[in-house]
Amino acid sequence: MTYDPQADALPVSRPAEPGRGAAAYRIFGETLRGMKTTFGRIVEGPTTVQYPEDKAPVYPRFRGRHRLHRFEDTGLEKCVGCSLCAAACPADCIRVVAAENTPELRISAGERYAAVYEINMSRCIFCGYCEVACPFDAITMGHDYELSDYDRSDLIFTKEMLLAEPVERAPLRAAGE
Amino acid sequence: MPRPRPRPIRFSIDGREVEAAENLMLVDAAKHGDVEIPVFCYEPKLGHPVGACRMCLVEIEGIPKLQTACSTPVKDGMVVHTQTDRVREAQEAVVEFLLINHPLDCPVCDKGGECPLQDVTFGWGPGRSRFIEPKRHFVKPLELSPVIAIDRERCILCYRCVRFSQEVAEDYQLVLLERGAHSYVSTFDGHPYVGPFTGNIIELCPVGALTSRPYRFRARPWDIEGAASVCTLCPSQCNVELTVRDERVMRVLSRQNDEVDDGWLCDKGRFAYQAVHVDQRVTAPLLREGGELREVSWERALDHAVGALARAGARTGALAGEGTTNEEAFLLGRLLREALGSPHVDSRAAAALPAGLHRALCHPRRQATVPDLEFAHAVLVLDCEPVDDAPIIDLRIRKGVRRHGLRLAVATSRPSSLDANAALSVRFSPGAGGAFVAALAAALTGADSEELAERAGADAGSVSALAELLRAAEDEEDGRREVVIVWGERLAHGALADQTIGDLVALADALEVHQAPGAGLLELPVHANGRGMREAGLVPDAGPGLAELGPGQAGRASAQIAAGLAEGDLVALYLLHVDPLRALPDRPAWERALAGAATVIAHAPLLTDGLREHADVVFPAEAYPEKEGTVVHPDGRLQRLRPGIAHPGEVRDGWRVLAELARRLGTDLGVASAGEASAQLFAAVSFYSGLTLEQIGGRGLRWPEREQAATEFGEREAPPAPTRDRAPEHQPPTLAGAAANGALHLDSYRSLWSAPEVQASPSLAFLHPQQRAEIAPADAQRLGVRDGQRVTVCAPTNGQPAAGQEGAGAREVQATVALRHALTPGVVLLQDGLERDSANALGDPGSAVEVRPE
Repeated sequence: MTYDPQADALPVSRPAEPGRGAAAYRIFGETLRGMKTTFGRIVEGPTTVQYPEDKAPVYPRFRGRHRLHRFEDTGLEKCVGCSLCAAACPADCIRVVAAENTPELRISAGERYAAVYEINMSRCIFCGYCEVACPFDAITMGHDYELSDYDRSDLIFTKEMLLAEPVERAPLRAAGE
Repeated sequence: MPRPRPRPIRFSIDGREVEAAENLMLVDAAKHGDVEIPVFCYEPKLGHPVGACRMCLVEIEGIPKLQTACSTPVKDGMVVHTQTDRVREAQEAVVEFLLINHPLDCPVCDKGGECPLQDVTFGWGPGRSRFIEPKRHFVKPLELSPVIAIDRERCILCYRCVRFSQEVAEDYQLVLLERGAHSYVSTFDGHPYVGPFTGNIIELCPVGALTSRPYRFRARPWDIEGAASVCTLCPSQCNVELTVRDERVMRVLSRQNDEVDDGWLCDKGRFAYQAVHVDQRVTAPLLREGGELREVSWERALDHAVGALARAGARTGALAGEGTTNEEAFLLGRLLREALGSPHVDSRAAAALPAGLHRALCHPRRQATVPDLEFAHAVLVLDCEPVDDAPIIDLRIRKGVRRHGLRLAVATSRPSSLDANAALSVRFSPGAGGAFVAALAAALTGADSEELAERAGADAGSVSALAELLRAAEDEEDGRREVVIVWGERLAHGALADQTIGDLVALADALEVHQAPGAGLLELPVHANGRGMREAGLVPDAGPGLAELGPGQAGRASAQIAAGLAEGDLVALYLLHVDPLRALPDRPAWERALAGAATVIAHAPLLTDGLREHADVVFPAEAYPEKEGTVVHPDGRLQRLRPGIAHPGEVRDGWRVLAELARRLGTDLGVASAGEASAQLFAAVSFYSGLTLEQIGGRGLRWPEREQAATEFGEREAPPAPTRDRAPEHQPPTLAGAAANGALHLDSYRSLWSAPEVQASPSLAFLHPQQRAEIAPADAQRLGVRDGQRVTVCAPTNGQPAAGQEGAGAREVQATVALRHALTPGVVLLQDGLERDSANALGDPGSAVEVRPE
């Protein structure tokens, strides 16, 4: 049986041969179609966020600048300086030096506390592994994303900075927004 | 005891045919088949297994119940399964059981991350606990001692620490108290667990129950780096691993080398690292200005030192001690001999010996090794106390006695801590070690020993019994005799030093130590690298490689350097890692010497009394974790020191400072790196020739085992004839010159803890000793003093006062009386090496002193 190409042949539609009318359409018709979208958006109003006067809201699970937490009832730090966050950190940006609590000076709930807790924000990749690794929920990722500074060394956040109540500058996205 | 010769057998593990040595424990044999059996209590270093933790259960075909792999020796044709359901069920049950009362402290526990319990739970545990009841609680953490914290909740009762205390250190302090779940580890009397080796239980503990207090919460395992080096705080030269974080040594762990330390460390080695990072560490050059040492720049300090050395020229003396490396000793020798033209160098605390005797002592055929102590038929501990002089040697001897049936003989002037393990203990008079060696050599060669024994103050019958014990220490099967003599450097003191060493060599040859490979002499030097400094040529009578010096090239030994400085023959003194007031005998002579010296240049990491008062220039020296170079173990093993941390402050390498001084004095030593210094040393010392640092490597290399040593020293070298016909003879110690009432013979020793590093380490400082006058109860009654009373011990002063003594410190020390029943009556035992009230203020052992109640 001989092969009949007719059965496999696909119909090809070609545009009209360029003539005068087609050229005029390409020059004006397509442009007008594009302008229709443009003018349609003008009617909708501007979408530009006027940063920094206006701030884009973040989702609740947004991973911004870290926060360290205290127990609300006792005021003790939740962090016991176990360094697991430093072990989990792929960017190696966390440094923890632990020390021992004494009856006179009790900083955290466990036997040890973090005497030094530093996060180098210029290195952090905001992956959130530290939050996952923390056995005491002492460190969480906050919502603050405004982390630029004039000096690299100012980007090393100390324990006091991370423990402090953050200035809520980034609005949270409301439900359904 | 002969060394075990393993017989290879074949057995099957998890379906694999594996070859292993017969009677190896199954846990170890399984490793030959790449099978890991989890363990907690099994630790071969601790001796026989106890099978306490039940973690290592395996199934053996033909035995109905599961067996503990740690205590089952492997036999030919054994078929073992470790992966069956029964085994897995048992392992999961054991882990679940061990975790019932184990608190979930992992985030705060110092062991977290390097914890065998974590690893085994992760690898073999059930993953889930059914236990919902409250856990058992103890008060925590408690101080087991000032350096060890104990958390009894975390303990899994594996017995390792108790076994260490009972069977290795033999201090019998740790026990398990109470029963069942309420069992806990404690000292039997509740006192702190203090001893020379306590820190090892921290490393032994498979959980976080025993932790180091100085290391408490300093770092987690992922914060730190390990750096291998060698501890140079005593002649044992244990191999260590420094835990480093942020350029600071955080702790010291053992780096097991069975040829050196058997995997143990003493507490000085384990905890005295704190002295590296204390505030009183010298980290900048100091110069005496207006009577006070002030920090100055290197440039000024070097200029001042070079000016003084150039003025002094050949009238300079140099001493080195403690952890001076071979390279530093070699370069100091070159600085003195080549740049200054002065032959006056010394590194020995005892008297100088001729080069021939040095070579006879370190002849490869007369050299015993540390493992020989374990497997010899007899060991003689001669005039030394291993636990103070080189503590790890003490553990090795105890191991030999306990596990291999070694016959131990102790011949000392004072009661030894090894007396309880010894088959025979012989006492002689303080300072009469030389006479005793002569008596023993005579008894062994069949000569008349009675008179010499009398001069040594020893019982003639005991001397012949000792000779008989040594002679009879033969193998029952092949008749081989392996005797090791451990002796202390201080044996060779006084005018008869070379005769004593000649007798010692004759004694070794009479025992035919050269015939047996596991026999010989083992010297415990006073300084940590005493042997290396000698071989590098830092002795007055021999050059590098213990080569004979040409006529007229011999220099002054340390005692003569002191005399020369006091009399003005010498004007400058260079001190490398040594404070003669503390480390050398005859403190009054050294006080006069240091006061008389125009310039004292010191090189020290910590300021001690002598330097604080007398040094004109102090260069900051490296502590051992910062050093690069080589040291020599007392058994001839070259070991490498490698820097684990950077130099703090302005500290510079020792070799660099010595090379810079020589350069400014107009002699280029040609040393621009530590490696070049080592290469020069290896080229200069005949029996090191051809060595490279790579060959030494991490485990060290014994030069007596090299072929060069065999060719250079020959197979059988006749010992140099002891100079018997010399005029002076051993004299029995007298009390001449002392007041009749209260006169006693002085005996002295240097405690393990009397080191500046111990004093400077915050958590070890409590061990730094105060002077105690130990006397026998009979003497105390006669003198009318009580235990704990303060007394003054002084050199006899009636008769003529010693010449030239005005201005120098009085020859007396304050001490607290301690009664000691084992002490020979007529002797007062004091400590050496203390900052103040040290026994070297009074005189050599054997001299007469008076004890006066205050």
